[in-house]
Amino acid sequence: MKEWFGLVARLVTGVVWIVAGAVKLPDPASSVQAVRAYQLLPSAIVPTVGQLLPVVEIVVGVTLVLGILTRGAAVVSALMYLAFIVGIGSVWARGLTIDCGCFGGGGYDPNAASQYPWEIARDVALLLLSVYVVVVGRTRLALDNVLFRATPQLKDSEHGEQVSP
Amino acid sequence: MANKSARDTRAERAAVALKEQQRRERRRATLMIGGVVLAMLVIVAGGFLINRARDTSANVSAAPAGSGSYGVTIGSKSAPNSVVIYEDFLCPYCGELEKATHSQLATLADQGKVYVEYRPFNLLQTDYSVAAASAFKVVLDASGPQVAKKFHDLLYADQPAESGPYPDSQWLVDKAVEAGAKESAVKSGIENETQKAWVESATKSATDAGVRGTPTILVNGKVFQDGRTVDELAQNLLSAVQ
Repeated sequence: MKEWFGLVARLVTGVVWIVAGAVKLPDPASSVQAVRAYQLLPSAIVPTVGQLLPVVEIVVGVTLVLGILTRGAAVVSALMYLAFIVGIGSVWARGLTIDCGCFGGGGYDPNAASQYPWEIARDVALLLLSVYVVVVGRTRLALDNVLFRATPQLKDSEHGEQVSP
Repeated sequence: MANKSARDTRAERAAVALKEQQRRERRRATLMIGGVVLAMLVIVAGGFLINRARDTSANVSAAPAGSGSYGVTIGSKSAPNSVVIYEDFLCPYCGELEKATHSQLATLADQGKVYVEYRPFNLLQTDYSVAAASAFKVVLDASGPQVAKKFHDLLYADQPAESGPYPDSQWLVDKAVEAGAKESAVKSGIENETQKAWVESATKSATDAGVRGTPTILVNGKVFQDGRTVDELAQNLLSAVQ
């Protein structure tokens, strides 16, 4: 049951990452602008983060959906959600009004403040799902189960032909 | 005795074989993890480089200061540094930048250190952005660059909130008069937004040049973005052109 719920958590967080990354991919300039709007990072590394982020989001999303190195991908995913929660919280605390740029867009937005609680709540939920995947580690229908199953010889000698996780 | 030792050696051999197998399995898993991580890093690095090449945010190819037809300049063209500032009269960050730099840049321009062109356009697509930029051009044509620059400074000093309410045209006329324009020379132009078409072409010219946001600052032709906050940006700009 845990492993099935782990699969659901993997798919939800993974699909969110893929969508978030794919939406940003066509326009790196606006992704950079969105990062700049947080006024958190030194301006010298803002472009790098803005250009890197969509790619990392997609790769993390794909690994989660496929279940490759599930635990590691979930750790990265959890850290990234944590970073976004901190980022949005900090923007909120400093009284800046920006579009979080979570799914494209970004930059100054005079009506943004009302969005912050909902954005943080969403990211906390996704953070918890990621942490759940880290904790269970093994999930159903993951490529990991194929890549890292016991070697055939060991299976034969230890458990016979049929090994179920 | 003999039986027991034979059993022992068999058990030992089995244990050794099992250990060996486990060792091989761990090795295989390590290699697999390493390979997958490496593949991911290659994909991330490749995607990053492609994205970096596609990032146009630093590619603004605008006419150099003083040679565009959509702004007002201060200082001398022969100054060692030139600055172009694209701005929208309503944009709050432009207001912050103006507060932090307008008098310092004017002083530096007077000292012959920098040549500055302010290029207003309609980024935010609001009525006020259009009305103010049109009024700016009316004042520029009727009363000259010095009054227009003063008018520009006065508008930023008393900038309305982006969400409104926006001041009416009489307010703009009052600011123009305060800046030194003759009311009779600018009133009907400001009220009827006679330079709307100019604002449209200024906006087209800015977006064609690759300007995506305001304020966009060019120092000697290059996009200047050094600074986390607008205040930092302003301070760094001032020290870059000292």
